[in-house]
Amino acid sequence: MTGMMSRPAATCLVALLFVLALPPAQAHAVTPEEMLSDPALESRARDLSKQLRCLVCQNQSIDDSDAELARDLRIEVRRQLAAGAEDDDILAALRETYGDYVLLNPPVSPATYILWGAPLAILLGGAAVMLAGRRRRDAAADDAAADTIQAAIPAPEIDRRVGLAIASLVMAASLSIYLVLGRADLPARPLSERGPEIAAALKQAEAAAGTRDSALTQARAAAAETPSDVGAWLRLAMAAAASEDRQTEMAALQQAEELTNGDPSIRAMRAEAMARAADGQVTVPARQLIAEILAVNPAEPRALFLSGLAAYQDEDYASAVAIWQRLQASSAPNAPWMPLLAENIADAARAGGISLEDGSRSVMAPPGPDRADIAAAAEMSDEDRQAMIESMVEGLAARLAEDPSDAPGWQRLARAYEVLGRPRDAQVALIGAADAAPGDLRAQLAALEQMVVAQLEAAFADAASRLLERATSLGPHHPETLYLGGHFAKLNGDPQTARRLWEALLGRLPDDAPIIPQLRAAIASL
Amino acid sequence: MSGGGKARLSFLIPLAGFLVLAGFATLALVATLSGERDVSQLPSAMLGKAAPSAPLPDLLNDGGGVSVTAFRGAPLLVNVFASWCAPCRAEAPALALLAEEIRIMGIAYKDKPEESRRFLAQYGNPFAAVGVDRDGAAGMGWGVYGVPETFLVDAAGTIILRHAGPIDRRVLDEVLRPAIRDLQ
Repeated sequence: MTGMMSRPAATCLVALLFVLALPPAQAHAVTPEEMLSDPALESRARDLSKQLRCLVCQNQSIDDSDAELARDLRIEVRRQLAAGAEDDDILAALRETYGDYVLLNPPVSPATYILWGAPLAILLGGAAVMLAGRRRRDAAADDAAADTIQAAIPAPEIDRRVGLAIASLVMAASLSIYLVLGRADLPARPLSERGPEIAAALKQAEAAAGTRDSALTQARAAAAETPSDVGAWLRLAMAAAASEDRQTEMAALQQAEELTNGDPSIRAMRAEAMARAADGQVTVPARQLIAEILAVNPAEPRALFLSGLAAYQDEDYASAVAIWQRLQASSAPNAPWMPLLAENIADAARAGGISLEDGSRSVMAPPGPDRADIAAAAEMSDEDRQAMIESMVEGLAARLAEDPSDAPGWQRLARAYEVLGRPRDAQVALIGAADAAPGDLRAQLAALEQMVVAQLEAAFADAASRLLERATSLGPHHPETLYLGGHFAKLNGDPQTARRLWEALLGRLPDDAPIIPQLRAAIASL
Repeated sequence: MSGGGKARLSFLIPLAGFLVLAGFATLALVATLSGERDVSQLPSAMLGKAAPSAPLPDLLNDGGGVSVTAFRGAPLLVNVFASWCAPCRAEAPALALLAEEIRIMGIAYKDKPEESRRFLAQYGNPFAAVGVDRDGAAGMGWGVYGVPETFLVDAAGTIILRHAGPIDRRVLDEVLRPAIRDLQ
């Protein structure tokens, strides 16, 4: 047994291990320039600092804390000490502004009775339990002595049951904590394994940065050479955006804006640049700019998108969904922002607990082209592209024939037919949209407008009277209902009704509405 | 063994005590994790006391002074912010909304004046006036321990509400707006 240690030696070793495992003595946060030259005052300052809580870190004294506020408080304590204040006065002044919480040892008060009383109560309670147990054991020993029977008492059944209950309780608690905190689906990969991956990514990023910077230099030269070319300034803005040179981007956009006399889409680009400069936040100045743009052009897509984003950031999810859906409805179905937009709408709806009712399917998984389709379409010949679009449109049409209740689907189909130059099919789809949403005034009016624009009133006379009836009951005073009602009344040989509706419309229009002379002429021709 | 039943159950007393403690701890943990309880929200000792009124240098007008006394007679919101504070950026839209309902005085806490001005240009200026608290001494008078912090002061100059941390939608609708409405 030569390898074995004696018992005292092992104990010493264990004790030593404990000492080594202790954290090293904490370096103090107090810096020499804070200290007072008078050692007596400085030691009072240190004592006070140890009693004061750092309100930022909350479980350190200001003497230990490196937080800014702790430093300020240390300096304040020393300033007051140097001015001759008593310790108690200093503590009282700090309690005035920061409350009892600033003291690491809370004063005894009704609010802290439990805190101070609990250890005593637990101690007394424990003593009572022990005393009671001892008395019982004594009684049991007396019984045993009397009976002189030392039978093995079987382990009480209750022990096992309680034991099980405790075990399952602990399991349940740890499981629920794990469910909240842990994410079993996140792969744990040591950083060391990912070294080559990270190096490659860094190299790629460096190369890309080089390309970007030279593109920026070129764009800068081009804009300087042809300062009246809006395109050159916009290219400079884009190159600057890619290099994250916010100042150049903003300046270039301002130049382009001046050259175009405040073109709304260029101003919208500036609003977007402002948001990007603020790490994606739609700032208050950006919001003002967006409001100005939308006042000029209510359908400016970038401004609409940002406006929805601002609502989203305000946690006003209903408005975000409404604004983004407006953008969705006014965009071409293959607009590059559509997939992102659909994702955003779904996200906002989820965050706000909004059900997307009739539009849910189209929004959650937009049928029609996704990113891959668009990328594929870009590489096709014109005929192939046309064929692809038509096959997608036929797919949508077939689906809607099966499920005619999908109003947004009908609207997309109508837009697709318009793009393909098939106004009659577009008309059918718009009527489908109106019938799928009989309570949607806008849908009724849109289908009726299309009839007037495409001069298809006669071909769809039945649908026209049905939609007009709905529009009249949904929004009898809506200007478009009045105008379209008059139009169809005139067609149906009812000039009195046409006159009545158009005159009602005249009464509702602002005096400077550009349509007024035209409307007057139409009334006169009745 | 007359005392047998009692003896068996008495060992449950410490267990019951433990379970009660564990129950409180679990409630606190759940409330914290679910965001119901915010451990950073400390009780404020300044409620019901007069707002500090020492004048501060004016950020936006050279040579001027900014103090809550100039706003006496109507409720006032006091917002302590800094350009280096990210949550202050996040609450800028909420402050812009509040500026339409109540006058707001800003205190630029431990911030270079030129950077405070740049911050207001980028994120909007909701303030009727902004005082400069270069070294944080004024903040200490308000019991500030981190930015942003917002105080509601009544017409007589008494602090009646304090919110530490950014103003989000919930704080705006459920805390500040009702309190402002009560004052008006």
